[in-house]
Amino acid sequence: MATVSPAIGTHGHADDHSHGHHEQSFLSKYVFSTDHKVIGIQFLVTTMLMLMVGGALALAVRWQLAFPWGSMPIVGSLFGLFQNEGGQISPEFYTMLFTMHASVMIFLVIIPILAGAFGNFLIPLQIGADDMAFPILNMLSYWFMWPAMFCFAFSFVAGGATAGPGNGWTSYPLLSDLAQASPSSGNAQTWWLFGLTLVGVSSMMGSVNYMTTIINMRAPGMTLFRMPLTIWSMFITAILQSFALPVLTAAGFMLVFDRLSSLLPTDIHSVFFIPAGIVVNNAAPTVGGGQPLLWQHLFWFYSHPAVYIMLLPAMGMVSDMLACMCRKPVFGYKPMVYSMAAIAGLGFIVWGHHMFTSGMNPALGMTFMTSTMMIALPSAIKVFNWIGTIWDGNIKFNAVFLNCAAFVSLFVVGGLSGIFMAAVPVDIYFHDTYFIVAHFHYVLFGATLFGVFAAIQFWYPKMFGREMNDGVQKLHFALTFIGMNGTFFPMHLLGIAGMPRRYADPYLHGYLEHLLPMNQFMTISAIIMGFAQFLLLGNFAYSFFFGKKVGRNPWGANGLEWSAPSPPGHGNFDEPPVCYRGPYEYSSPEAEAMGQDFILQTSPPPAGFKKSSGHVH
Amino acid sequence: MKKFWALFFIFWPVVALYVCWIAPSRGWWFPSKPMSSLGHQIDGLFYLILFIVALTFIATQAVMGYALWRGATKKSTEKAMFSHGSHKLEIIWTIVPSFILVFISLTQLEVLANIRVISKFPDEARRAPIAEVMARQFEWRIRYPKPGTTLATEAQSGDLYYVNELHVPVSQPVMVNLRTQDVQHAFFSPKLRVKQDAVPGLIIPIWFEVEKAGEYELVCAELCGWGHYKMKARIVAGSEASVQKYMTDLEAAQNEDGVADAPAETEE
Amino acid sequence: MSLTPSLNKLSWVGLLAVFAVTGCSNNDSSFVYSERTTSLMPEAQDGIPGEADDAPGVLGVKQLLDDRFGNPQNLKAWLKLPVDFGGTQASVSEIVTENDQFKVKLAVEEGVALPEAPKALEFITGECIGETIAVSGWDAETGEAVLASAPTKQPMAGDLCALDGGGVLRSGRVLYMRHCSHCHGASGDGHGPTAEYLNPRPRDYRHGVFKFTSTNDMSKVSRDDLARVLRYGIPGTYMPSFLLLTDDELHAIVEYVRFLSLRGEYERKLVNELAGDYSAKAAQSRVADGENRTEIVAELREFLAADLPDTATELGDELAEQWSVANTPEALIIPSVARVPDSPESRRRGRELYLSKTLNCADCHGVDGAGNGPQTIAFEKNPITNEMYNEPGLHDVWDNLNQPRNLQTGIYRGGRRPIDLFGRIHAGIKGSRMPSFKNTPHEEIWHIVNYVLSIPFESEPGATGVAAPVSAPVAAAVAP
Repeated sequence: MATVSPAIGTHGHADDHSHGHHEQSFLSKYVFSTDHKVIGIQFLVTTMLMLMVGGALALAVRWQLAFPWGSMPIVGSLFGLFQNEGGQISPEFYTMLFTMHASVMIFLVIIPILAGAFGNFLIPLQIGADDMAFPILNMLSYWFMWPAMFCFAFSFVAGGATAGPGNGWTSYPLLSDLAQASPSSGNAQTWWLFGLTLVGVSSMMGSVNYMTTIINMRAPGMTLFRMPLTIWSMFITAILQSFALPVLTAAGFMLVFDRLSSLLPTDIHSVFFIPAGIVVNNAAPTVGGGQPLLWQHLFWFYSHPAVYIMLLPAMGMVSDMLACMCRKPVFGYKPMVYSMAAIAGLGFIVWGHHMFTSGMNPALGMTFMTSTMMIALPSAIKVFNWIGTIWDGNIKFNAVFLNCAAFVSLFVVGGLSGIFMAAVPVDIYFHDTYFIVAHFHYVLFGATLFGVFAAIQFWYPKMFGREMNDGVQKLHFALTFIGMNGTFFPMHLLGIAGMPRRYADPYLHGYLEHLLPMNQFMTISAIIMGFAQFLLLGNFAYSFFFGKKVGRNPWGANGLEWSAPSPPGHGNFDEPPVCYRGPYEYSSPEAEAMGQDFILQTSPPPAGFKKSSGHVH
Repeated sequence: MKKFWALFFIFWPVVALYVCWIAPSRGWWFPSKPMSSLGHQIDGLFYLILFIVALTFIATQAVMGYALWRGATKKSTEKAMFSHGSHKLEIIWTIVPSFILVFISLTQLEVLANIRVISKFPDEARRAPIAEVMARQFEWRIRYPKPGTTLATEAQSGDLYYVNELHVPVSQPVMVNLRTQDVQHAFFSPKLRVKQDAVPGLIIPIWFEVEKAGEYELVCAELCGWGHYKMKARIVAGSEASVQKYMTDLEAAQNEDGVADAPAETEE
Repeated sequence: MSLTPSLNKLSWVGLLAVFAVTGCSNNDSSFVYSERTTSLMPEAQDGIPGEADDAPGVLGVKQLLDDRFGNPQNLKAWLKLPVDFGGTQASVSEIVTENDQFKVKLAVEEGVALPEAPKALEFITGECIGETIAVSGWDAETGEAVLASAPTKQPMAGDLCALDGGGVLRSGRVLYMRHCSHCHGASGDGHGPTAEYLNPRPRDYRHGVFKFTSTNDMSKVSRDDLARVLRYGIPGTYMPSFLLLTDDELHAIVEYVRFLSLRGEYERKLVNELAGDYSAKAAQSRVADGENRTEIVAELREFLAADLPDTATELGDELAEQWSVANTPEALIIPSVARVPDSPESRRRGRELYLSKTLNCADCHGVDGAGNGPQTIAFEKNPITNEMYNEPGLHDVWDNLNQPRNLQTGIYRGGRRPIDLFGRIHAGIKGSRMPSFKNTPHEEIWHIVNYVLSIPFESEPGATGVAAPVSAPVAAAVAP
């Protein structure tokens, strides 16, 4: 059975660990572990479970859109919530469904799975370190997820049985600011904000760790431009996270202070976002002086970089995996690095494109439009480079490759649809319609999540010493791909048809009535896609116990992690690795000299081999 | 099997394109052609971008599909091409998209200014806003100025009130002052291609010119609570004379004192 | 390897367990019984089974109610109920049985049109009462219907029936569930899932009382009033305008709301007959006083068997009468004089009347119309139970805190037309503490209306030039 047991005797270093070789308790070995691999796997398992929770919420949303006001399965009879109505959900319940779907997926799935699971697991291994710079901080970053999950879970019921957080994951004031503004704006919103703050703390701990580790703990010979793109992406993501997140945290605190009277028995509260004289739900008029738009600026200042946080690691990992599966170097390694940096840098100056119709100064519309258009450029460059990587490769058509190819193909759709929304006049029509929903699902699901599926399978052998069943993964891929496109491609058309987002019953409006059959088709696709995920979970669990055992480098890959045992022991490597070359020297003359189509970064150059000069980078 | 997967990735963009091709004929497209002057400009820009994006999509998916096909039909004895990239290609596919993107941006600017910049609003609309549209949870409250007066920021005695139905004259630019009584909402008329968020504490002017008489849906496009989807209203565009008559009737109805020719009092 | 099959089985069992615990959802919505019903003795609620010849089984309140009104999936119609069920009412003029075909010839009242293609026929009087049979053939000229199957009993000429009866009510129910139930509750009890978060609460129809009517103070709400509220909403509350519903949809919803209201009122009045002696509390105290419970039950049995049915019929008739009359011109408030033209003099007169001791508007609405009169901070007693309310201020018949309107905002919940304001003053606001001032001369009411409409535009409160009497205490400002 695969474990992360200490490989006693294979330690290359014994002096800088205070705990030495003593037997650790179960708790400190597997639960409160400071080993980055254990923490990474903890993140992975937790986020995969959260994926199902977020997916279930999405299926409920889809059910309502396919069978509006029909009796909702499971939910309708759960705890007798909607008994008198025959299982028909209430409108505020619907607002909770889409709010928590987004909140769970963004904060409890995508961000932690990329940075927390894969970042944690891969960074030390790929740069040749024995662990992260701050192992205890690392452990805390995982365990902070649990209070966060508790807060989110509690928020479902904190305000009343059917009044979970329902103000969108964007939580705009005044809806989210005044407790009387909606059923979800009471305690539910408060607990939601607590959850948000705690995931922020977790992320922040992680990003500090990653930056320090990558800068300081690379193996000898591992120059910056010999790092795998995975590491570059994790590094840039960590920078994004650390610069942008404090703004969200501050905004969150401002909102909590605005809402202080609903939290504590006091009349004193701030009015950062509350203008004066507003009467909602016949409560006392607000005393304000604040600006609702301020929240939008602060929120999107973080949340736009956040979407790149949710994309870049997957981009990096896909580059690694494509190079491996095509047995050739990544096309344009340096442009790929610079593109990621450009995406991150530009990502800080485009936040206003979420606010084109918000009532902000039109001059800002022009500036944000320009910067948003430009951010399409590095993304396009990356797509072309991926295609270049695939071109003339010796392709292994396994599920890892298929998921990566899907990443590229679907990212093209997501990226291109973004151009419509970057153009302000066109965005005036598309803002808050399903066109936006299509766009971000294509980049988050079509790109990132398929990249994650590939990464799970690719690094599974390294994590657990066994491989996942490729056939099942291919079936999972096919069903997910078909289901995903069936669900989300029509959303572009729904957006063009003018169907607004977040509508519990769009068919109330005559001009949308004819879209019901399409929505039903989408729901069925979503259900297929949702149930297909059990294949992944099942394969994951089954292979853990019964998967075929594999050695150190089942894929014939080049990264430093593949020179370590599968799974790596405490300290990761047999002896401290030295890096001799870049990460993508597949099918190189040097590799040929060794009779392979790959050559590990840690392999010393073959005897008598002279490297030819002038490779294009 | 490898060819199957290559074809899989070639097939899906074809299906997507086909669906987009048949979409307009099946009603999965704009609810109508644009019914306002600004709407035409917006649609024009949309189609320009659609053209460019469609070409890019086809080209990219085709090249990728071809790359996959080559990979699928490659003999297993052939090795992969060992290349770290091509400087020339990088330059080409950096410069060309940059130009295209900048071009797209530049085409938007004029229309953006027309829609948003208040100094570019048509004078006749700016001088005399036709109504104040006050969004609230969960309906649209309309306030017209007392006939013969200009709309004031504060309600005036004699102002006319209605709900969920806004009457505007056709074929002339009109401006409404958008406000909200409580939380954020957004004034969205799909057929007129008009959208603007209503922000608490702000009065935001919107202008548009309806080209054809008729009724146009007005819906809310910013989450405002559980009734966000319920804010169903309409904009009724008619001739100047019909709008005048409407205001006259509205004024009479608003001053209804129950002692008219007939005892029934529900005529509007 | 033997672990494999059991591992797979485990996941199936897990899934099944989830479904078993939560159950497949039940599609049926249901009517609830009021709190007063559920606080009766169980025997009064559920009835008493028969024991002997002299102790026949009797129906309880719940069963009576279900028999009369049904449940949302299966709404019941009775002839006298002043609700438009939809469909066409006809009477049987002839019955023909030939060649195994059962035909009925129908006659309609003058002015009523025969439908084009009715799908079902329901007998509503006579032997076959309650039977609904599909119509397989129809001749619109002669009004002859071929029934898909013969009725179980024998109908006779003169029996009344309905073609496609219940259509309006059924569509009303569908529309109501879609648009209204989440606030007003599936039973119209004002207690849907969203209700507890709203201020003011959604209307509980079951008292049969509606606030914003155009009818006089003794009358019920009219159809026009309900349609008006649906069309224009109630500004300042969460009751939105449904202006864009079609006239048919509005009509169906109005009828369904009337149905729910009638059901609620009927339940209330039935329970009133029983609550004094047969509520659970009353039974308890009677037993504590020494009575035998079995005797109480026997007494109840007799009451339910002998007295209640007649009383129920009377109640039904009374209700039907009240609700029907509300739609007639007699119930409308019609001022005897046209509105006095708005002028400073009229407004001044209005303010005088507002502050006068006879009308005493300021006592509730405050000296400056800010809704902060002394009544808003006084404790009052519930007129029915005679107990003090816990919080100061005025309450309505639904026991909600319902403070007097702040007239400075310019928000008029019942409508802003002069006739609406006239109606509020003349008939009061039913269900609230706003009393009826029907004995005030109409001209004076118009002066008050003119004054009230001018309050939001006063340069400063009370600027109309009539000073408040010094003795009127000014209360602290209370939010509306």
